[in-house]
Formats: sequence, C-alpha cells, structure tokens
Amino acid sequence: MSKYFSKEKLKYVFYTMSHPVDGYYWIRHIDKGSVPIAVILVMLFSFSFTLNRLKASFVVNELDPRTVDSLTELGGVLLLYILLCISNWSVTCLMQGEGRLKDIAIAIGYAMLPLIISFNLATLVSQFIADGEEAFYYLILGVGIAYGFIMMLIGIMQVHNYTLAKTLITLFLTLLAAFIIIFIGLLIVDLVTKVYNFFESLYIEIVFRM
Amino acid sequence: MRMSKRCSRAIIIILAVVGMLGNCGVALANDLPYDTYNYNFYEYIVYTPAAYVPAGSISGTRLVYNGEPLGAFKNPQDICKTPDGEVVIADTGNNRIVFLSKDMKTVIKVISEFENNGEADKFSSPTGVCVSKKNELYIADTYNNRIVVLDNNGSLIKIIRDPQSEILEEGYVFSPLKVTVDYADRVYCIAQNMFEGIMVFEDNGQFVGFIGTIEVKISLWDKFWKRIATKEERSNQKLFIPTEFTGIDIDDDGFVYASNIDEDGTQAVRRLNPKGEDVIKKGANKNLGGDLWTSGYTRYSGPSQITDVVYRQKGMYSLLDRRRGRIFTYDHEGNLLYIFGGLGTQAGTFVTPVAIENIGNTIIVLDAYRAEILIFTETMYGSLINQAVALRYDGDETKAVELWEKVLELDENNELAYVGIGKAYLTAGDYVNAMKYLKRGMSSEFYSIAFRRYRNKVLKENMSYILTGLIVAVFALVIGVSIYRRKKGIVREEGLLNE
Repeated sequence: MSKYFSKEKLKYVFYTMSHPVDGYYWIRHIDKGSVPIAVILVMLFSFSFTLNRLKASFVVNELDPRTVDSLTELGGVLLLYILLCISNWSVTCLMQGEGRLKDIAIAIGYAMLPLIISFNLATLVSQFIADGEEAFYYLILGVGIAYGFIMMLIGIMQVHNYTLAKTLITLFLTLLAAFIIIFIGLLIVDLVTKVYNFFESLYIEIVFRM
Repeated sequence: MRMSKRCSRAIIIILAVVGMLGNCGVALANDLPYDTYNYNFYEYIVYTPAAYVPAGSISGTRLVYNGEPLGAFKNPQDICKTPDGEVVIADTGNNRIVFLSKDMKTVIKVISEFENNGEADKFSSPTGVCVSKKNELYIADTYNNRIVVLDNNGSLIKIIRDPQSEILEEGYVFSPLKVTVDYADRVYCIAQNMFEGIMVFEDNGQFVGFIGTIEVKISLWDKFWKRIATKEERSNQKLFIPTEFTGIDIDDDGFVYASNIDEDGTQAVRRLNPKGEDVIKKGANKNLGGDLWTSGYTRYSGPSQITDVVYRQKGMYSLLDRRRGRIFTYDHEGNLLYIFGGLGTQAGTFVTPVAIENIGNTIIVLDAYRAEILIFTETMYGSLINQAVALRYDGDETKAVELWEKVLELDENNELAYVGIGKAYLTAGDYVNAMKYLKRGMSSEFYSIAFRRYRNKVLKENMSYILTGLIVAVFALVIGVSIYRRKKGIVREEGLLNE
C-alpha cells in the first residue's frame, strides 16, 4: 500500500504541477509516480466537473440540474481516460516512445490536478459574482484548462523522451487511434449482438418446434 | 421513536385533509379537457393551475333573430368586438355578418346585404370583420375583391377595391382576408397571395404601401444546392417565399399586432409601429413562437401554427395555435404568462380554431369546423396574473406584490411571481429577501443588481474589520513561516530532488 500512497508520493503530485518537466522525467525514470493516485485524480476531476455543473451560481450556469448525473459523468470521464491512455500507448509503441502504459496513465492523471483546483475554485468564486463579472469565472476555468493541457503535453513529451513537434504529431495520431478504437468497439458490439440474436432465434425456433 | 412515527402520520393526514380543502377554489387540471402548463427557466414543462376554464359555447342553431331561428353558422372565419363589447361574427359560408349581444345570448342584427348606388348588394365569402372606434364596420369581402365599410345603421360609407400602385404586379387580384382599422381610420389588410406584407390604405381608400414584410431566410446549404442545380431543376424546386400573415389586431396606440406561421417556431407574432418596423419585445428565452417542445412525427408535433392574435389590455396579447389548439398569452416584455386549450371533440376543445377575441374577463374562440364560439372564463389564478401584470405595466410593482403572493399560493413554481416580489424587495432596499426571491425566479439580471448592492453594503459596513484582519493575517504568515524555517533548519528552499 505504501508503495502507492506514501506521503512522498502524494507530495510529488504537487511537485509535478509546479515543476512539470522535472517531475515527469523522474516519474519515468525512478518511479516517483503512482497509478492509483492518477486514477483517483481523474475521478476527483470528474466529481469537480459535476459539482461545477450542479453548484455554480445561476448567473454563469444555465444548466438544468436534472440533466446532470455524476455517475454517468464519472463513467464517461474514466472511459475517455482509458481510451486516451490506450490509444496513446498503441501509437507511441510504434514511434519509439520510451513510456510504459503506466507512465502514460500517470502523465495524463497528474495533469488533472490544475483542472480539479480551477473547477472547484471557479465554483466557489461563482457564488460571489454578479452579472457582468463572469469574466473572472471564465478566466479561472480557462487558466486551469490551459495549464492542464500544457501539463499533459509536457508529461507525454517527457515520458516518451520526445521533441515537442513529435509530441504534437503523436497526439494527433492518438486522437485518430481513439476513433479507430471506438469504431472497432462498436463493430464488435454490433457483431456480438447479431450472433446473440442468431442463437436466440435459433433457441426460440427449436422451443416452438418441440 | 414510536411516538414520533405516530406523530408524523397524524401530521401527514392533517396535511392531506387541509390540502383537499385548500384545493376547492382551484380548478384542478384533470377536470379540464386540456393541459395547462408553462415553460420554466430551463424551458421545461411545468404544469400550472388553469388560467381559463371552458364556460360553454354559442352556436347559431340555438339563436333566434326576429322570431325566427338564426340557423347554424357555416364555416365562420372571424370574430371581433365593437367598442360597446358586442360580438361580430363573419359567417363566411352564409355570406352574412352577425351581431351578438355582449353575453352572446341574443342576436342584435344580421347584415347580409346593403344598398350600393340604389341597388341591393351582397357579400361573397366575407372572411374578416373589424369594427373601428367610430363604430364603423369593415368587412373583407373576399370573393368580391373589396373591403366594404358600413356605418352603424348598415348603410354604405365606402368601398375599398382595386389598389393602384407601381409596386403591385400587373393584373394583381385583390382578395382581402383580414382587416383592422386604427384610430385614424387607416385600414390594415392581409390579402391572399400577398407575401410583401400587410397592405395599408388611407382613410380615403388610397393604397399607400406595405408594412411588416417578413424576410425570407435562405440557409447556406439551400444556396449551395441552388447554385449547382440546372435551370430546369430550379424551376421544379419550391420557391423561397415569405410566410403570409394569418391574423391581425391593433392596440390603442395604433400598433399593429400581426401573427404568422413560423416554421422555426421562434417568432409567430410581430408588433409593428406606424413605420412598419417590428418593435415587439422578446422574453428571456427569445421565443415568441408558442410551444417550445415540438419534436416528434405525429400530426400534433411541430412548431405551433399561430392563426390569430388578440391584443388584450396593458400590453398583454394572446396567440391562437391551430396545431395543438393552444392559447398562449404573453405580457409586454414577451414573458409567457399561461397556456391553455387543446384540440379534441370534448366540450371546451377545438377542431379548427380560426379566430380569438377578448371580451371583458372572457376569451372567446371561433371554431370554423364546429361553427361555434367557445367561451373561456378567467379563474382566480388567471385573474391574479392578469391584474398583477397590468399593475406592473403601469409601473406599480409594489402594489402587485400582494397579488403575486396570492399567485404563489396557487402555483409555487411561478417564476414571474418570484421576480415580481423580488423586484419589490429590491426597490424597498431589502436585498437579502430580494436575492432569495429573484434567485427562485431565476432572474439573473435583477439578482445581480440585488447581489451587487448587498455585497457593497456588507463590504462597506465591515471594511475596518476586513482590513485589520488582512494585515494581521499577513504578519502572522510571515512570522509563522520564519519560525517554521528556523525550527527545521531550512535556509533556502531547494528542488526536492537535489539531495
């Protein structure tokens, strides 16, 4: 347990946020990171996202609370996370990337920290703003998202030991791979349903004839 | 534990009994042949008490004129009211105009012919009627291609026909459908196949031009297809023509309210100033098209088809929808106040609603297929909203609070009522209550005003504490950090990995 959740490892998340280049480098090379912490961060991000959609003041938030479901959003975020990790891994494997799946998972997971902070801060700030002051709220959100994205970029760059240009290319290919994975997934689901339906109708046919 | 359970059960029973008693004054939705609802801030359907309930119908078969039965109406197309409150019906299929008393129980007169240059003249499918403030009757005599103006005694004043103008096409046949008249006797007319807008005639019958042209919207996609199509294909495609107006009414200041069928369901009514510009105000959701939930593939789905509009009083106006038989009432700010009505064959529902009018505290709707006038009377809920909106229109928002509070007793989801009360608190300087009510009314604009004033007030009152606290905190932080560092022996913070 202490292998994943030691005080040092928890502190290291914040160190990665303030020193992304160094932080991600040592995650790759001397196992400073922890996958469970990364997954927890992703889950926390999902909860912060839901909380923001539910509780941000109605001055900035026109969403009907009935349309927000934390569990669906958690599922969606986790699925997207897994999809991103796997597609990035499958692309970088072919492109001389040095990162293991574990490192990619940590790189993306740790990049959620600025998002968590900014979403919660924005939700809090939204309670104290009036009409015409929404800019503060969107600034906080925007800075958080931009920082998170840059962290993710640096993370992937560092764990694979890539140049920036190559990282951007692999990110583009990652998106492509993600679409291919989704496509194949749908294809398989469709096929399995068809096979299932075939056997089901076969069974019904036999039952009726007996 | 046991005791409290029994206690709570007793409370529930008492509440249920009180609830039943309390409901006596309110018409329950399930007693009515239609749904009564409204859309809230989230554009979600919220069921409300009924604002208007059916109160019978008037058909021609039961009426008597000069000792003889009047006979059923035949495909009647329009109703209007005289300044005295009498009801005028354009009995289109029978080529006559029927005047009913205010309670619609007795026939005052029937006009089926008039004297024109010494000869008796008749109508041919009179589709629209209107009575001016001078008690002059304007009849859109559709198949005779003219507008006939008669005075109080049924004798001819003038006939408007054959509009002459450069802007009209050669050989244009004038077939008026609906008319209305303003205080200066200018005639506004909706004519068949006239897509340019509403035709305006001076008091001497001279055609002066169009107002309120509806612009055609052509999407980029349509333009693309038009471009690649051949000439032959293009001639087979449907034309991009603006929609025609369907109904027309005029308010006391001479602003024309005109309804049209909007395929997007966003704006089905226009308020035209004398220059012909649309000056209508749209509410928070920028929608004046009736129903917001219109998806589906049945005959009852799709945007509302507004066939008529009636200006009521104090900036309120009602729209009549023939798709689902609903009547939508808006205030002068474009807020949807209440919705009622429906299609069907039960008493109080429509088959083909064509015209709507407002007589006192009733709304009457003409159904062409049933050849009947359906009457709806105001309930307590409707009356409270009408009065409160009227007070707000006059600027008496504080007087309206009492009424809005009563509205909330009947319908605690009414956002307009919350906003009304909140605004009154705001004017009175009670920002905490104003914020509470305006938040429930989801009025971001006024909530922000209340909140900003409240925030300033709190900051001003506590400025000395806040500044002192800030200075103390800064000192405490600086001292605390230096003590912590001395204890741990940290001289200067290094990178975590520079061990």
